[in-house]
Amino acid sequence: MSGAAALEVRRITVSYGARPVLWDVDATFPTGSLSAIVGPNGAGKSTLLRAALGLIAVDSGQSLISGHPARAALDHVAYVPQREAVDWDFPITVGEVVAMGRYRSTGWFRRVGREDRAIAAAALDRVGMAAYADRQIGQLSGGQRQRVFFARALAQETPLLVMDEPFAGIDARTQASLLELLGELRDEGRSIVVVHHELATVRERFDWALLLNVRAIACGPVSESLAPDMLARAYGTGAEALQWAG
Amino acid sequence: MGWLIDLLPLSYTDAVVVIGAAILGLTSGVLGSFAVLRERSLVGDAIAHAALPGVCIAFLLTGAKDAGSLIVGAAFAGIAAAVLMVAIERTSRIRPDAAIGVVLSCFFSLGIVLLTYISSQNNANQAGLEKYLFGQAAGLLERDLVVMAALAGASLLFVAIGFRILKVALFDADFAGSLGLPVRVLDVAMTVLLVVAVVIGVRMVGAILMVAMLISPVVAARQLTHRLRTLLPLAGVIGAGIGIAGALLATGSELPTGPVVVVVGFCVALAAVLLSPGRGALWRARHVAAERRRAAFEGVLLEVETAMHAGPPPTVAELRLATGRPRAQLTRTLRRLERAGLLRRDGAEHRLRLTEAGAAAAHELEQRRDLWAAWLEHGASLELPDAREPDPRDVRASLGDDVADRLQELAT
Amino acid sequence: MNDDLVIIITAGLTATACGLLGPFLVLRRAALLSDAVSHAVLPGIVATWLLLHTRAPFAVIVGGAIFAVLCVLAIDGLRSTGLVRSDAAIGLVFPLLFALGVLGVTRYASGIHLDLDSTIYGEIAFAPFDVWTIGGVDVARSIVVIGSIAALNLAFVILAWKELKASTFDPGFSQTIGLRPQMLSRLMLVAVAITAVTAFESVGAILVVTLLIVPGATAYLLTDRLAVMVALAVGIGWIGAVAGYWGAVVGDSSIAGTMGLVCAVCFALALLVSPKYGLIATAVRRRRRARATATALAAER
Repeated sequence: MSGAAALEVRRITVSYGARPVLWDVDATFPTGSLSAIVGPNGAGKSTLLRAALGLIAVDSGQSLISGHPARAALDHVAYVPQREAVDWDFPITVGEVVAMGRYRSTGWFRRVGREDRAIAAAALDRVGMAAYADRQIGQLSGGQRQRVFFARALAQETPLLVMDEPFAGIDARTQASLLELLGELRDEGRSIVVVHHELATVRERFDWALLLNVRAIACGPVSESLAPDMLARAYGTGAEALQWAG
Repeated sequence: MGWLIDLLPLSYTDAVVVIGAAILGLTSGVLGSFAVLRERSLVGDAIAHAALPGVCIAFLLTGAKDAGSLIVGAAFAGIAAAVLMVAIERTSRIRPDAAIGVVLSCFFSLGIVLLTYISSQNNANQAGLEKYLFGQAAGLLERDLVVMAALAGASLLFVAIGFRILKVALFDADFAGSLGLPVRVLDVAMTVLLVVAVVIGVRMVGAILMVAMLISPVVAARQLTHRLRTLLPLAGVIGAGIGIAGALLATGSELPTGPVVVVVGFCVALAAVLLSPGRGALWRARHVAAERRRAAFEGVLLEVETAMHAGPPPTVAELRLATGRPRAQLTRTLRRLERAGLLRRDGAEHRLRLTEAGAAAAHELEQRRDLWAAWLEHGASLELPDAREPDPRDVRASLGDDVADRLQELAT
Repeated sequence: MNDDLVIIITAGLTATACGLLGPFLVLRRAALLSDAVSHAVLPGIVATWLLLHTRAPFAVIVGGAIFAVLCVLAIDGLRSTGLVRSDAAIGLVFPLLFALGVLGVTRYASGIHLDLDSTIYGEIAFAPFDVWTIGGVDVARSIVVIGSIAALNLAFVILAWKELKASTFDPGFSQTIGLRPQMLSRLMLVAVAITAVTAFESVGAILVVTLLIVPGATAYLLTDRLAVMVALAVGIGWIGAVAGYWGAVVGDSSIAGTMGLVCAVCFALALLVSPKYGLIATAVRRRRRARATATALAAER
């Protein structure tokens, strides 16, 4: 189905207990663009990503990846979740982590082939970590670790990349160079959806944004969706929001 | 102790067993709380397994099967095991679960080696040490009861006196530290209490099963109360009840006491988890199902209304296509709407149409939803008298008319 | 075959079967789940006897595995209510199952030919006396049974190596690439259960846990490579088998117990002198760093 959005959610509602975390959210992320999901704490940003990928149950609504139901199209997505859950003491090398990006295409019970290993190595090189392939994952700095997970997503060679707060707790240099990389990927025609909280970077670097606060406040080109009146609706009209908007 | 034994309408040996089981249940219920509430239940398992080599070493040193010295041995081994677990966890990359597993295995292996060594010594006295594996209530003496009761009394008294301090340390160790409380000491104290519970019980229930006695009364009591002040005594009472019931059942059916008590304990805990009012799993499952039904009810009501606005009243098939709801859910919900008098089916095609009452209900529902939407948009800028939060189903009732009116104003 | 050799090989194969799985349990923080599963085997054996009146290896393995799966499902079920923490759920379920097993044994002991002692000590000393004749050659039954389980585990770990690695390291990610981490973890626990049933006969219930956890934890202290970790765990198991048997003969003690003790000693040694993560190495490194910092600061001044 050509012309379909890279990722689209229709009327998604998710609640934990009686409290809705997402309320009737409609959003579209166009193909070939760098999109952000923006909103205050507790707005349901991560939940939206997970619901969109079919990783959690939704109360209602549906989600489409390139026009196909999300669950059936997961092989079109590389997902970079938030990083707290990973066990950094795990006996695994950087190279092995990135090679995991090729597991889906390798299939069950088969070894990772030479071609796949080359793809993984190229991905690692692209994030500037080729020299670290044999390090244990825990011996890296926070920024380097995040580069590894970017490389793993790259190695998946999917048309859609979905990332949850990839720059949380990351040093400025790494953030800049990874943002650069995201721009390049977009220029190569990939679609990228990132949960991000810095409005300034989103304005500067991203094409498209969904402004979320339980409901979808605005979804569109950054200049429209992050207009001051929209931000006020998402963040409230307090001084903080004005500062954000300014 | 004698008077209590005489008081019970049981034979001497049975009475001793029942009283012993009651003391065991009482203490393990109260003291087990210090493991379960800290999410370290299985530390109790390692301590219980460690009792085995402790008992063996005490026997080798004293050459006698004296209840007092064996208990001291078990206690020392239990404390050593607890210290080792903490040390391994703090100083190496080994995680708590593996640390518990390692310490448990090491002590138990040692215990087995010592046990086989002792039994190869042909000491007439040695028979009976292996009772500490699976526990044996028969052969319990009045003298043992006195030791158990004394230990139980002392530890319960300690808990009663130190209750407030222990409560803080239990709930939030960092906060306790910021208050200047000796957190490390309290940590040790709670572990020692756990060891006391284990050494009281291990003779009756055995090293392998003892952990269940520390957990089941607390799990059961936790379902029935939210307050630590009532939780501790309640767990004690439940534990004692489990002990007495188990002991009576066991003596009645001539089965070993330990396993029977454990099975009874599990049943009590399970019953509490399933059935406790307002919290139990079955109660909650019913609540969740009702909640789902209500959401579907309201959802379909609005969907029919939307469809009626958009074109001719929909057929069931059209509605299903438009909403993507599962067939079974839709049919069930439509029937319920009909029964409530909100919906009727017209003509040969059974087109769905809201009744007047239905239209009114849909309208009211929409208003309520608009209010919730208004809250999401303007809630942050609204001044509220306290920390109240809206119930999405009924913002007006949960926030008060005054606030709801202001919200409505902001929305228009 | 020499009796000593039969016992050592049986013990070594048991340690191999356990050592292949242990590292994954340690890394998944499921060490105590294996504890629970290996206790659940006892009622499985009893139930198999009561229903089928047999102690044939295959029937017992199936019976034990069914109970082990029940055990895991019960723990999951209790946990999923949100009312019982996972540690308490484990501590509620496995004593129940073990207690049921004990009650079964005491009630029907004469029929089962299983006394409670053997659940603790195992019967490895009798391994040489139970012989199967295969193709005209006498082979100890225990070697055949445990050998095939060890081979099965080896096949499982080799075949599903990358799946196990990915789902252990990052379950969330492996779900998005369609690896079904929950199914893998169930499969893993079934393998643990089958291993536990077979090992149960030779080393008893509790020492199965020792062989599952201690070599894996020891290997974890020694290496940063998963493959090396698994190999080391198996190796440490073999050290336990050989040295444990020797110790049992010398000290006239329980073979299972001495095997456990040897593994414990290995762990203690690794904890102290592991070049990377040992207490001594860490202390030396810290001392050196402190000294280097002090000199650097002094030079600055």
